[in-house]
Amino acid sequence: MWAYLFRRLAYNMPVYLGVILLVMAALRVNDPVYAYLGKNVTEEQIEARRESMGLKEPFLAQYAVMVKQIATLDFDTMSWRQQGTTVGELMSKAIWPSLALTVPALILTSVISICVSIIAAFFRGRTIDRSLVVIAVLGMSISFLVYIIVGQYFGAYLLNEKLNTEIFAIHGYKSGILNWPRYCLLPVLISVIVAMGYDTRFYRAVMVEESNRDYITTAKAKGASRQKIMFVHMLKNAMIPIVTRISITLPFLIVGSILLEVYFGIPGMGQALISAVTNQDFPVVQAFTAVFAGLYILTNLMTDVMYALLDPRVRLS
Amino acid sequence: MIKRWWNSRTARKFRQNRLAVVALFVISIYIALAFVLMLGGFISLETSDQRIGSQVLPGFLGTVLPQKRLDNALDFIDDVDRALNNRDPEQALGELTIGFRSVAKLPQPELRKLVDQGFEKYDHLAPILDELADSSQVTTGQLSDETATELTELEGIVDQLWPPPTGWQATKEGLALVFGTDRQGRSISMRAVYSVKVAIQVGVVTAFISVLIGSVLGTAAAFFGGVVDHVVTWLYTTFASIPNLVLLVLLAHMFTESQFENTLVPVYVAFCLTFWIGPCRVIRGETLKLKELEYIQAATAIGFSRPYIMVKHIIPNAAHLMLINFSLLFIGAIKSEVILSFLGLGVKRGPSWGIMIKQSGQEVVNGFFWQIGTATGFMFVLVLAFNILSDALQDVFDPKHV
Repeated sequence: MWAYLFRRLAYNMPVYLGVILLVMAALRVNDPVYAYLGKNVTEEQIEARRESMGLKEPFLAQYAVMVKQIATLDFDTMSWRQQGTTVGELMSKAIWPSLALTVPALILTSVISICVSIIAAFFRGRTIDRSLVVIAVLGMSISFLVYIIVGQYFGAYLLNEKLNTEIFAIHGYKSGILNWPRYCLLPVLISVIVAMGYDTRFYRAVMVEESNRDYITTAKAKGASRQKIMFVHMLKNAMIPIVTRISITLPFLIVGSILLEVYFGIPGMGQALISAVTNQDFPVVQAFTAVFAGLYILTNLMTDVMYALLDPRVRLS
Repeated sequence: MIKRWWNSRTARKFRQNRLAVVALFVISIYIALAFVLMLGGFISLETSDQRIGSQVLPGFLGTVLPQKRLDNALDFIDDVDRALNNRDPEQALGELTIGFRSVAKLPQPELRKLVDQGFEKYDHLAPILDELADSSQVTTGQLSDETATELTELEGIVDQLWPPPTGWQATKEGLALVFGTDRQGRSISMRAVYSVKVAIQVGVVTAFISVLIGSVLGTAAAFFGGVVDHVVTWLYTTFASIPNLVLLVLLAHMFTESQFENTLVPVYVAFCLTFWIGPCRVIRGETLKLKELEYIQAATAIGFSRPYIMVKHIIPNAAHLMLINFSLLFIGAIKSEVILSFLGLGVKRGPSWGIMIKQSGQEVVNGFFWQIGTATGFMFVLVLAFNILSDALQDVFDPKHV
């Protein structure tokens, strides 16, 4: 197991180094200082800004600094827009709201869509199954943004108006577990509804395929009940594609959380990144994209570990 | 050759799927529409940006509430009033157009008289409506007969000032107003139709280039192996390790303040560099599989060169994957355009469904769904058609796929 984990780590290291290289190169295609300061500044100001950011050093030296910052998780560069705060401070503030949004969304989506897909596979070919598939395809054809806008209107504005109390906040965020339902539940629900369309269809196909396998016939012949076949035999064997799928949905989740954070005013990583992009806040954009990619690679690594735990054969290959 | 293809197994199997045929038909209508728009037919960028009536007018199904009718009338009268007060009223009146209407060719004193009458009526009606509780929600039926007739008279004055178009122009105005207007008084239907062009452009260009890059790199990596394979694999794992949207944002950000900022180039580059990963991975896998098959080995044994085998045997046998990926990427491009536009990094000039959905955010808060509904509807039909098409293609070419 440890050897396997070590192998995966060794494989992902050069990939991550490449990611940092790509991010840094992409951000330097267009002069970041010029874009930030605009056209009406003197040459000296530009030079000073460049000097302070270390942009005059050779690219490899800058790369080494960045890698060191990531390796030690110590982002001590100053943000350009938000005077007096370092990138690291911004990041440690932003990460918790993001996790409060994504982790429940991931868990809820997976659990609900697996249950729905088992129901669909259970009633395969019948009306329930067919209508679920049709709803999933129709739901997939609508933009995420529309769900957010309409969901916010019905979930927050209209509900609050009808009940005269504020169940879900329209905008904003407060930390703390007691405040969570008020600020995060509606965004989480929206993201669950959106993801359901994709996931249900996929899981259903997996379940249907599994239910055609020989071991199911054996279990039936042995006299196992349908429920037992569904939840014990089939679900366990379907775990591998399910875990793959969860790792595939992660980027969608990140997209979703960025949009939801921007729209509902939740001060998470996504919102910080987007506002840094619109404000040309170069150090923040650079560090945040690198960290986003790092988190993403880490979750992929976790998926690999899950594989190995679920299917011992993976460890050996 | 066409006949042979038409009778082939895949074509027959595809035709059996009625839904997929309908989807293909819908897609061709969209593409034809986009072509016409690209050649400058129907709607130009300028007309889609023009004000054609008063603001947030509901479409064909909605009834205009009295408060709204009153405001509309005032808008139209105000415009004439402003033109009359201009230093050169003659010219100002001549230039004044709203959509398909222009000011009546009447002598100025008569126009002035009509405007004054209109203001008088408005000043009389406004307090009456204001006094009603919840005035913005009152329907015409709830008004007293007297007020209702007065409101109709006011609209009669507006029609005298702005004679309604006749014939073909009237049909055009009707079509332009069929889904109402947005907050700047622009026609929602015109903007939605014009966006077809943007969507098809973005979809076709990015899907085509991404599939091209992906297939070239994918086949090359698998077929030549060795260093090429290592480099390509490293490249796509690197690109794939950045979450999709973060990469899109990063690449679109690259172009801010550059000369391409107001074109579609940033969108194209961002999408192509993000989307080539999918087809590359799939086609590399397929080529690895094909390479081991006997007919390829036979071709090598006969002594055909490697590029020849690649072009003649491998690419045609992986072509179905390119087709499926094209249609999947098309959907991805259209949907991502909406998201990028919302974040302010997508289409900058002219309308697109993304821009429309973004703008409709503030209208939805006030319960106005025409803009978001129309943009979503147009997008929904196209994306649904592509979803059905790609499912059908997958069924036909790759039945074992989950």
